[in-house]
Amino acid sequence: MVTLYDFELSANCYSVRLMLSILGVHYETVSVDIYPGSDNRSEWFGKLNPEGTLPVLVDGGYIISDANPCLIHLAGKYDDTDRWHPIQDWMVYPLMLGWFDFARRLTASAGVARTGVAFGWNADLPALQAEAHRLLRRLDEHLWFGEKQGRDWLVAGEHPTIADIAVFPDVVLSEEGGVSRQDYPAVRRWLDRVRRIPGFVVMSGVFPAAPERSTVPLDLRRS
Amino acid sequence: MGLGVAELRQAAWYPVASSDDLPFRHVYHGQLLGQELAIWRADDGYVNIWENRCLHRGVRLSIGINDGAELKCQYHGWRYANRTAGCTYIPAHPADAPARRITNRTYPVKERFGLVWAALSADAPEMDVAEAGFALRPMPVNALPEMVLSALVARGEAVTQLPPLGAALVLAGAPGRATYFVQPVDSARAVIRGVLDAEPDVDTLMAFNAVLARLRDAVEAEARAIELPDPIVPRYEPVSVELATMPDRVIGRQATVRVMVRRRWQAALDVTGIELAPLSGHLPTFQPGAHIDLHLPNGLVRQYSITNGPGDLTGYTIAVKREAGSRGGSAAIAETLREGDVLAVSEPRNNFPLRRDAVRTTFIAGGIGLTPLLSMARALQRQGLAFDFHAFARSAEHLPLGPELEALGDRVSRHFGLGPPETAEAIRQVLGAHSFARHVYICGPGPMLELARGIASELGWPDEAVHYEYFKNTHEIDTSSSFTVELARSALSLTVPAGRSILEVMRENGIEAPSSCEQGACGTCLTRVLEGEIDHQDVYLNGTEKAAGNVMMTCVSRAKSARLVLDI
Repeated sequence: MVTLYDFELSANCYSVRLMLSILGVHYETVSVDIYPGSDNRSEWFGKLNPEGTLPVLVDGGYIISDANPCLIHLAGKYDDTDRWHPIQDWMVYPLMLGWFDFARRLTASAGVARTGVAFGWNADLPALQAEAHRLLRRLDEHLWFGEKQGRDWLVAGEHPTIADIAVFPDVVLSEEGGVSRQDYPAVRRWLDRVRRIPGFVVMSGVFPAAPERSTVPLDLRRS
Repeated sequence: MGLGVAELRQAAWYPVASSDDLPFRHVYHGQLLGQELAIWRADDGYVNIWENRCLHRGVRLSIGINDGAELKCQYHGWRYANRTAGCTYIPAHPADAPARRITNRTYPVKERFGLVWAALSADAPEMDVAEAGFALRPMPVNALPEMVLSALVARGEAVTQLPPLGAALVLAGAPGRATYFVQPVDSARAVIRGVLDAEPDVDTLMAFNAVLARLRDAVEAEARAIELPDPIVPRYEPVSVELATMPDRVIGRQATVRVMVRRRWQAALDVTGIELAPLSGHLPTFQPGAHIDLHLPNGLVRQYSITNGPGDLTGYTIAVKREAGSRGGSAAIAETLREGDVLAVSEPRNNFPLRRDAVRTTFIAGGIGLTPLLSMARALQRQGLAFDFHAFARSAEHLPLGPELEALGDRVSRHFGLGPPETAEAIRQVLGAHSFARHVYICGPGPMLELARGIASELGWPDEAVHYEYFKNTHEIDTSSSFTVELARSALSLTVPAGRSILEVMRENGIEAPSSCEQGACGTCLTRVLEGEIDHQDVYLNGTEKAAGNVMMTCVSRAKSARLVLDI
């Protein structure tokens, strides 16, 4: 049995929900009310994760905290193809770790700006937003040249990896923290591509993408 | 410094995106001189540049869904057509055809040089640039557009200025000459859009990008040292009342649109296919099920359904069956209409609206009656909604628009050469017992329509789930009654004698009333009745609507009571 300790509005929890859904893993959620309940500071949650952070994934008695370790666990255990987590590929794997680091910095800037705006938490918004824009500029450049080189995803390969899933939530939710993506057209196109991955799920503030032109199923809803 | 916003607005075309920024099924978020834009490429290649807000609640259309033919707002699902930005569907009004004239603001668009260009003013001069080109990676810069241009020129050699905000030059450190256009995004935001003559290799692109990134960093440092102007306040000109509200009057019989016969072909035995193209630009927005009045050279006016799919506004395709007893309409088309002829048509009018909230939609088409249903089926197919299409015809050769039907795939069943009992059995099979949110649309010859409606009724289908359109009213109209009509809003009392219709008498007395077929089939003259008992003689209203007694067709229906009060 897989249990996700989850806060609906958390971008990091969203990345784990995304991965669970994409891999088709059945799971149940325990809702942990970070705001306004501060349940993550409670004694019972402290026994699960002394850091008091979400998400926490419990899989057959094995406890994993935080988004990126959860993604690695899920891809390692539930993706038989190893496409989501190509650990054998020494050309790709270190780059993936780099994007995990990028995701963490994005959470610390765009993500903190977003929770600052949403929950009224103390945050130096101009500084956080400026850092988020700096990161998005880098991301846009990386993705623009990727398109020119035939690479759709953050790291090389035909298939997306958990790096895309790690970076996606704080990017797609950035506007809630006052960080517009208007200057990042290649990022916006990548967001469309991620949102077309089979099994993709939305959350509050995230909308589905239009189906791709070539693959619009004629019998989409025919029973 | 430089030109003011007002002059820049008037002055010219500006690049707002790279062509590569607009893959199919994507909506690009753009901005020009403070004005936000939703930019999207339809499946037919056309680039739409629209004001970035839904007319309903102002939500950005750049987060909407580009389905290839229409843009759907993410908030309440209003749909806007490719090319015209006319609203085609409002989910909150599934049974209406209300949105005929609701139209979002569009901007002129050109695609040249690997860039997409917009003009905020309709009088921007014609653009004079080469067709070919390859766009460098766009470089957004947080600085005044004029500062950005000055920095490019200052670091360039062999500069050719291209007013108002462009220059061709060799940038110091760059691997060659390029043309740079500065997009004035806002008062203190710009995008450098560089163009090369041909596509370079990736290393060259990276070299240009590195030079432009350094230039950006330098200009932004300069901009941080000065006091920046406030952002431009976007101008949201109110959309005209006509374009923003439901029309309270249906569209009349005026021939307001001039079209040319672009193509005519044999669409089946005795059926002529005709494609009517606009003389310039594109045709007015239509909704599935809509028809136009075609004004023929011999003075006759005939109604034909538009068969097009959504967002296809480069030419209306209609199909005309040559009637044995033609009164001059279908014969004139079959015998005298030629490619290149110019005709006049009315704006599209929809009295046969398609609901899109059905769990499953069934179409039953008899012969030429498939024309409005084809348009409807194409809309549902585009939206990925469930439907099945049953085409009845005497033989495969009699089936109009066969290739177009083919594109609907295995949802189409063809029924050829059936006699009345077999047709009845086939319809019975197709309909089955009514279940929740199923709807059927029927169009075909009168007897088949009567048959299908009767079977639907027997099988328990409620009137509101059975939609139909007659070509004509074959009932004998009884005009023997005489009565008084009071027009509540016009404060007029008129006497309708035997032998005259309410519509005729109103017109003689100066009341403008829309109409089209004038035989009780099309629904255009539908009028609200406030008092009195109606003598319904039309084939447009269903039994429930007739029994409710609050609307009538003034072209054929009359009064059973001595007096009728109409809401006119």
